[in-house]
Amino acid sequence: MITKPLRLASGRAWSLAPLCALLFAAPAAAETPADLVAAAEAEGQVVVYSFTSRVFRVETAFEEAYPGIDLVPFDISSTEQIARIQAELGAGIQSADVAYLADAPVVFEALVEPGHLLPFVPPGFAERIPDAFETPLLAHRLSTKVLMYNEEAHPDGPPVDNLWQLTTEDWTGRVIMVDPSTRGDYLDLLTEIVLQSDAMAAAYEAQFGAPITLDADIANAGEQFIKDLLDNDVVFVASTDDVNVAVGAVGQENPPIGFTSYSDRRDNAEEGWALQVANAVAPAPGIIYPAFLGVLSNAPHPNAAELLITFLMGDESDTGGPALAPFYVPGDYLTRTDLAPHPDAIPLDDFNAWRIAPQATAALRQDVADLVLSLQ
Amino acid sequence: MRLFNAVRGGLSAGHPVSGTAALTGGAFVVIALLVLVPLANIAVELISDAGLEAVWDVFAGRIAENMLWRPLANTFAIGFAVALACVALGGVLAWLVTMTDLPLRRWIGVLAALPFMIPTFAVALAWTVVFADDRLGVDAAGMLVHLGVPVPAWLAWGGVPVALALIAHLYAIAYLMIASALVTVGRDLTAAAEIAGASRTRILRAIVFPVVTPSLIAAGALCFAEAVSSFSAPAILGLPVRFHTLATRAYGAIETGSPERGYVLITVMVVTAALFLALAAVLQRRGQSFATIGAQGGRRGRMALGRWRWPLAVAALSTVAATTILPTLVLLLSSVSTASGNPFATLTTHYWIGAADPAVAQGQAGILNNPQLVRATLVTLGVGLATGIAALAAALVVGLAIGRLRGGFLAGTLQQLAFLPLLIPGLAIGAACIGFYGAPIGPLPSLYGTPAILVIAGVAATLPFAVQSVVAARAQIAPTLEDSARVTGASPPRILAAITLPLALPKLIAGFVLVFVKMVRDLDLVILLYTPQLPLLTVIAFRYASDGFAQFAHAVTVVILLVSVLAHLAATGLGRAAQPWLRD
Repeated sequence: MITKPLRLASGRAWSLAPLCALLFAAPAAAETPADLVAAAEAEGQVVVYSFTSRVFRVETAFEEAYPGIDLVPFDISSTEQIARIQAELGAGIQSADVAYLADAPVVFEALVEPGHLLPFVPPGFAERIPDAFETPLLAHRLSTKVLMYNEEAHPDGPPVDNLWQLTTEDWTGRVIMVDPSTRGDYLDLLTEIVLQSDAMAAAYEAQFGAPITLDADIANAGEQFIKDLLDNDVVFVASTDDVNVAVGAVGQENPPIGFTSYSDRRDNAEEGWALQVANAVAPAPGIIYPAFLGVLSNAPHPNAAELLITFLMGDESDTGGPALAPFYVPGDYLTRTDLAPHPDAIPLDDFNAWRIAPQATAALRQDVADLVLSLQ
Repeated sequence: MRLFNAVRGGLSAGHPVSGTAALTGGAFVVIALLVLVPLANIAVELISDAGLEAVWDVFAGRIAENMLWRPLANTFAIGFAVALACVALGGVLAWLVTMTDLPLRRWIGVLAALPFMIPTFAVALAWTVVFADDRLGVDAAGMLVHLGVPVPAWLAWGGVPVALALIAHLYAIAYLMIASALVTVGRDLTAAAEIAGASRTRILRAIVFPVVTPSLIAAGALCFAEAVSSFSAPAILGLPVRFHTLATRAYGAIETGSPERGYVLITVMVVTAALFLALAAVLQRRGQSFATIGAQGGRRGRMALGRWRWPLAVAALSTVAATTILPTLVLLLSSVSTASGNPFATLTTHYWIGAADPAVAQGQAGILNNPQLVRATLVTLGVGLATGIAALAAALVVGLAIGRLRGGFLAGTLQQLAFLPLLIPGLAIGAACIGFYGAPIGPLPSLYGTPAILVIAGVAATLPFAVQSVVAARAQIAPTLEDSARVTGASPPRILAAITLPLALPKLIAGFVLVFVKMVRDLDLVILLYTPQLPLLTVIAFRYASDGFAQFAHAVTVVILLVSVLAHLAATGLGRAAQPWLRD
């Protein structure tokens, strides 16, 4: 019996919708079937596990569109969602309806294959989403874990152009990331670096002018990079917001650099950050990976679950409307092909991050996790 | 009627009624279900392919050094440092309050007991607000950095602040234990020695130390056990410099899908703590041979501190204030500041009563305006109350059985078993309960995600305190009182209502409140048991803190702190019931 704890679940007051929701009050997706809405309203509630805190904004927008349905949001990391869902289904407990999570390598094996998490592609969207993003689960958008720097302190572009520079004295104690021992997405990032060892070796030679030499017990250039990064006193923190504050806060003379979500740049104005992606860094700034929406097999509100997923795919406007407003931001790449690309974002084709391969990543993850543990 | 007789017979010291065997059996069943079986279940988990592999990985694999050995060394270092410091600090305070003419000693005594009611993570969070350096960026730095005072790295993160935060929480235990031993030192003895011209040092060495040595050892051992099992302090203050203890490693492993590795570490924690408590018991037994001087001495004559009176009073008052009032104020201030650790930031009530605003913390409303928080408060209070009642019920069975058996092997065994949870980390009790009660047992459904599992874990963890209060309640009642009532023809219910209960009640209530407070403020025990549908305040505060929503975390922590401290103060009449020596 394996069970895990959960991350904070905090709702917000449902009584006060922000004014902007009124401005966005576009006609809700016209094709949403009336009988689905009626069935969902009869259920009256939908419970969401979400790996992004933007679920709180979704709540506002959803309840604006469907005042009769209470969206109960829980902000839970993908790693914890997986453990939680396994435990809850194992114990026969009905809890959540919809899971919004990443961690594809584990999700497919641990949740989709045993049938705990079911795919749902809303009618009318299938032809607007690439097939690869419809099975085995519907991908909502592509998310990132990439190297970000402070553009206020470095107005002429990123202070590094090669990942290996992070292992040099200039950045000792000044590279920040979430502890990969506790977060799957960061572990995926390090795993991808190991999988891309050839590129890492080439980048090493480009940086230092000599071929890489590996330490004892180190198998490849990717592992060597991880070791050198840890030896260079990389700072592990508990959440991406800690990275964002450290790297992004304005008014810093010599800010650190760190791995976080490109899309957190969206909060620059509100939070007083100056986050920008170091897209040109060699060999790549990080990883890009899908975020999925699925229905739990024992969802207490299955119709409301389908309605919410339909809602989350957006409306017929160019930007997807209020449902997608939290996600129509630079750094998030929505899987819907009929939306206009965000004007301020690097176009997906020009974005240099590695796309993770779930199967290859899954096979190597534990090994990389143990490597990180053994090096600390 | 039989149960009633058992209760009455048990509460009144020494009137065997039929049913001792049933009561003893019940006591063993209670302890087995709460503690022994769940723990054994963890050990059984390890005797599997995955379990044995985890044992090998943790002890001998390439992760061994960072998974086990270094965290083990850190855990030991913290345990020793905390135990020594707590005994020293608690001992000096206890001596000042009970034995000397220290001014303001009542206030100092009341405040010195309070840190035990304040969650460790509150102290740890307050520490970051003041001492954090700019390792996590300038915006995450604490007040000192913002005031232009450089903070050395070792004081900001890692072993030193973890130890200091634990000392600030645990010295209260040492104070209470040592003070209650000191009051048995006959002050007439010390006064006589003083008149005879013995120096203060000599009085301490010849009269005071021998009496309190066993309590010093016991307090040290308990602080050691509590320190090595602490999760929240190292989780908050250790991570940025990769400082880990067994508890944080076990939590990390269980949380990220390697539960077997976590179970190995938890087993190591339990065995370590058990060895040290056993060692302490041996030392204590030796110490006790000196403890014969203790007399029910008169209460006259406090040692005169002379010109040291006020300097010592100021020092003592600063210490107790720094560990009670100061962290509370720091957290309160931070919770109304737009930048947590920046004393120059704008003040705001948003984090307490603000409406949802998309520009702040992803649109989360202030905690008093947040239905989830309101629900968490109700769940927390409900679980606290239910655990208090259930723990007392369990403790009545165990405590009365111990009383009925009146010594002997069975009574000794029961007593040892009842105190076993003291040396088991809260995290381990949580893991054990979830492993055992989280899955269906025969026809019984899984308790995962139900309040029941929280209450079971809570009762298991607090059983020692509850049993202690029952034993103390029994000791309160002279058998002659009930005898005379019986002789004068009072019916058993009347004896219970008129004599037994009123006499036993204060101690039982004290036990109940202690259990309640421990449940309300505890994080380690519930961190693995928590589910989103069953929110608890401590977990929410911890989650907020790890999500970078510092002000929300601090606001919730202030709520927990107030509930705990007020419950304690209300139940003990400003602490006096818990510290009879404050009355004179």
